[in-house]
Amino acid sequence: MSRLRKALETGGFPVTSEIGPPKGTRVDHVLEEASKLKDKVAAVNVTDLQSAVMRVGSLVMCIRLKEMGVEPVLQVTCRDRNRISLQSELLSADVMGVENVLCLTGDHIVLGDHQEARPVFDLDSVQLLKAVEILNGGHDLAGHELEGAPNLFAGAVTTPEFEPMDLQLLKMKKKIDAGAKFFQTQAVYDTEKFKAFMDRVSGWNVPVMAGLVLLKSPGMAKFMNKNVAGVFVPDNLIEEIKKTPKADRKKKAAEIAARIIREVRPYCQGIHLMPLEWDEVVPDIIEQAELQ
Amino acid sequence: MHATIQKPMKDILATLKPGEKVFVFGCGNCAMKCHSGGPEETERMVERLRKQEVDVTGSACSPDGASLCKLSLAKEMVEEHRAEVDAADSFLVLACGQGFHTVVDATDGGLVHPGCDTVFGGETVRPDLINEYCSLCGECIAETTGGLCPLTLCAKGLLNGPCGGSKDGKCEADTNRDCGWVLIYERLKALGRLENLEAYAEPKNFAKWSRLRSLDVGPMEATFHSLAGSHTVSQED
Repeated sequence: MSRLRKALETGGFPVTSEIGPPKGTRVDHVLEEASKLKDKVAAVNVTDLQSAVMRVGSLVMCIRLKEMGVEPVLQVTCRDRNRISLQSELLSADVMGVENVLCLTGDHIVLGDHQEARPVFDLDSVQLLKAVEILNGGHDLAGHELEGAPNLFAGAVTTPEFEPMDLQLLKMKKKIDAGAKFFQTQAVYDTEKFKAFMDRVSGWNVPVMAGLVLLKSPGMAKFMNKNVAGVFVPDNLIEEIKKTPKADRKKKAAEIAARIIREVRPYCQGIHLMPLEWDEVVPDIIEQAELQ
Repeated sequence: MHATIQKPMKDILATLKPGEKVFVFGCGNCAMKCHSGGPEETERMVERLRKQEVDVTGSACSPDGASLCKLSLAKEMVEEHRAEVDAADSFLVLACGQGFHTVVDATDGGLVHPGCDTVFGGETVRPDLINEYCSLCGECIAETTGGLCPLTLCAKGLLNGPCGGSKDGKCEADTNRDCGWVLIYERLKALGRLENLEAYAEPKNFAKWSRLRSLDVGPMEATFHSLAGSHTVSQED
């Protein structure tokens, strides 16, 4: 059983981190940084061509992480592959011992660097979750029996600050019905809103890991507000970072993250960190937030 | 209605060889609504081509409200202009791809230059605005979404939407556009049918949308052929 699965099922309040593969074949640095988190986090997500930017694939990086003793979470989006290829990827993941899978829709092509590419979206994230469930049960989406079924632990994403909230909740429930066993959220900055969100969903008894994106600079926060789907950094936090001298920014980012974690901890079942290449800050956050 | 926009003049001219004699066809239905190939635009195209010293043998536009894409009509137009058509080396068509191909058939495989880009199937909301509401997918599901097609109004074509990128009711791919799923949600809420969104929507049968397709029609019965097979619907009940 995956370490992440065990921790979530036993109320262990796991922490996960995240890496994004590079655009090119020099993967060692990214893997090195992730491997330093081996004993500090339950698992590390690997994004699937995030922001629709062409890069090394998620599965390959997941396999390399496993070789280094780090448990991976394979992120799979619906943007670039049809149902045949997606099911194949899920089987391949299982064959290579990758157990945790996060099923997402995927950022639109126009946000990326190959804007003339054809968007696929043969399946959406709910249908992809269903595909995992069906494969786990020994069949494929077309009803054929498998020669060996995978045993994947499927998760999904939810956005606590989505408006209208009812629509987000309708979809979240559909994801649970389709087989989502855990959720990682989009970045949380407003504890009150997060609490209100968790009040609505806790009755469904599916673990939710609050997501946190490290705030590296005011420019980056504003960029995310404008360009990154599902993320909104409030002005007071942008001010707080702005006032911090550049030399102290990593410390400040850790401090803010730890503060938010302490505030949201009573309402969720884990934390998902998105360090955006500031992986070395992660141990500091874990310590300050008293998560070990 | 098939929305069209003319190709830029320089692109049209680039397709014509020196000395090539051209006959221009227009369409009094959709292309007229789009001002890309109605009677006025057809006449104007003749003038514009002649100004560029292109030898235009003549022109014809289907009557107001009549579509060029009906082969029997296109053949009549060819007959009415037989001499000019015979004198032409090629045909410039100011109409949608359907109209364009009808001229290929009506001229028995003549050399046809598309004068327009066909952009989408649309609703003429106002004389100056045409919006896309249907993607011609072959299997309408708008029943469940209050009449708003998610394949057309959602940039990702999600059937179990929305995605996490929808912000302030706007689409991640174009922040000037409303999120299709928020529109669907608001519509179903107003209709008192929000429960429609609770049911899992199965993956689409793309065999009904992918090519190749055709339709046999009769007064009481029709058969749609696609890679998904053939299905016949009768109005006899």
